[in-house]
Amino acid sequence: MKILIVEDDNDLREITTRSLEKERYVVSQAPDYMTALRKIEDYDYDCILLDIMLPDGNGLDLLGELRALGKRTNVIILSAKDSLEDKVKGLDLGADDYLPKPYHLAELHARLKSLFRRNTREGEHTIRYGNIELVPDLFKVLIGGKEVELNRKEYDILSYFMLRPGRLVNKNTLAESVWGDHIDQVDNFDFIYAQIKNLRRHLKEAGATPELKAVYGIGYKFVIE
Amino acid sequence: MKLFHLVMWRVSALLVAILTVWAVFFYWAIIEEVNDETDDSLGDYAETLIIRWLSGEEMPSKNSGSNNQYYLYEVSEEYARSYPHITYRDETVYIEEKKETEPARVLMTIFQTDDGRYMELVVYAPTIEKLDLRRALLGWIVFLYVLLLLAILAVNAWVFQRNMKPLYRLLDWLDRYRLGGKNKPLTNETSISEFRKLNDAAVVFTERSEKVYEQQKLFIGNASHEMQTPLAISLNRLEMLMEDDTLTEKQLSELAKTHQTLESLTRMNRSLLLLCKIENHQFSDEKEICLNKLFRTYLDDYQEVYAYRHIRVEVTEAATFRVTMSESLASVLVANLLKNAFVHADEGGEITVSFTAASFEISNTGEHPLDDKRIFERFYQGSKKEGSTGLGLALVDSVCKASHLSVTYRYADGRHVFTVSRS
Repeated sequence: MKILIVEDDNDLREITTRSLEKERYVVSQAPDYMTALRKIEDYDYDCILLDIMLPDGNGLDLLGELRALGKRTNVIILSAKDSLEDKVKGLDLGADDYLPKPYHLAELHARLKSLFRRNTREGEHTIRYGNIELVPDLFKVLIGGKEVELNRKEYDILSYFMLRPGRLVNKNTLAESVWGDHIDQVDNFDFIYAQIKNLRRHLKEAGATPELKAVYGIGYKFVIE
Repeated sequence: MKLFHLVMWRVSALLVAILTVWAVFFYWAIIEEVNDETDDSLGDYAETLIIRWLSGEEMPSKNSGSNNQYYLYEVSEEYARSYPHITYRDETVYIEEKKETEPARVLMTIFQTDDGRYMELVVYAPTIEKLDLRRALLGWIVFLYVLLLLAILAVNAWVFQRNMKPLYRLLDWLDRYRLGGKNKPLTNETSISEFRKLNDAAVVFTERSEKVYEQQKLFIGNASHEMQTPLAISLNRLEMLMEDDTLTEKQLSELAKTHQTLESLTRMNRSLLLLCKIENHQFSDEKEICLNKLFRTYLDDYQEVYAYRHIRVEVTEAATFRVTMSESLASVLVANLLKNAFVHADEGGEITVSFTAASFEISNTGEHPLDDKRIFERFYQGSKKEGSTGLGLALVDSVCKASHLSVTYRYADGRHVFTVSRS
């Protein structure tokens, strides 16, 4: 998978590149509009991570160029301007997703993963990890081919981990993703622990191969031992 | 004290003093004049009597029927020498015809006849009743004083109203002025140069503070905006580092603590940015929202999150409170009020939420009343609470201001009560 990062902030570009390379993507970088334009003219990419505010141009124009070149490249817009207007405009111009800056790398990975899944497995809307199968459209979970009943929160937590296998998931981030943005500033995570405990029990009873491992003080990792 | 009242009060006090002194002088002058006149006529009369007596002419009757009378008798030489030649004094005499005493001016004179005898002549002339005069004077002065005071008050009020109008218009404008709010321009035409200067000064100063306020707002906005990316990068770097399997548990726990601190900084920054956005009116997606429903949704989540604090929650819905506001701001409002209640209620305490058609009230048990003037200020915290940014209630206040709502705080019966109603 080849990815082009168009981003003028050196720090952010570098760390995103490193993180993507760790996930075994092939990554190209473009710090400005002209470099990005040259690269999309010369090469083909599977996905472009596009910043809108560039020193020498607007990232949205690049979407027009892509269309003019007749390329069907996936684009995820990264923008500090998290205004609705930008988002709508970008998606109208053919972007596939929109991620407000500053973003969480784990979030970026999940978005990329779901984007590629949509592309490569058209028609088959399931996520697999180990012997677990998740059908998002039906909110169904199959472990070893057998359906497992999960409550709403347990399902949300599992699907969050299914999209981020092997990655360290922070408790805070998990709480905000599953419970909502308003659950910040919480200093006690007992409520997560209670749900995780139940989820673990369900997974264990159904004989799932991946397991939820606690990482001291930080959060959890979904791994196959 | 108002300037108007001060001026009135000083004018009245000064008038009392001046009029009193004036009345004393007036009285004194009149009495002096009356005495002078009476003494003159007494002198003339005495002279006529003495001449008549010395020349042996017929004397007029001792008592002329009025209280105009005289006595003439011989005195010893010692007496004559021990008294001055002529004295005037005030006396009251008994008049037989009228059977009453009357004030009189008395002249006593001692003279020597050709044959060396000493004679004393006492002449009485009726005069004015001084007590009556004083009473009359006092009455008139009081009357005059009241009349004068009323006239002065009326004139002053009129002068004030006419001349001080620009001042009061300016003060009124300043009273209404809200920094950073929508203010009407000052319309205060006047030809008086002092007031013009005052107007100009007020306008210049408000413009200056407006500018400083804008700059400060912009600075906070820009600063928190610029901090977002570096913060996110630091967090992401830390997370990448934490995925390293060779780290020891001790290192990992240190990293986790740093991560937590950075996250709370990020949250605080996000709240600040949100505050700026609200104050810049960047939320325009207004629609009708049922706050009861929103409350119920969030309440479930918070009850789950704060289950370990064993807080009882009681909701009374007498009516549905609907408001027209931005949906995201409504979430901010409800979430922050609920969070505030849950975080600050005592362990095992109680939270009550009640709705009417025009307001809702949320209260939580708590020991000490908080400063109701500062509670909505940024970073004002009654007591430092772990995981609290100190911006929650400032956000609530901002949201209310931006959404035609008003929020008030009071402490009653061991509870912190927040009331949100339409303003």
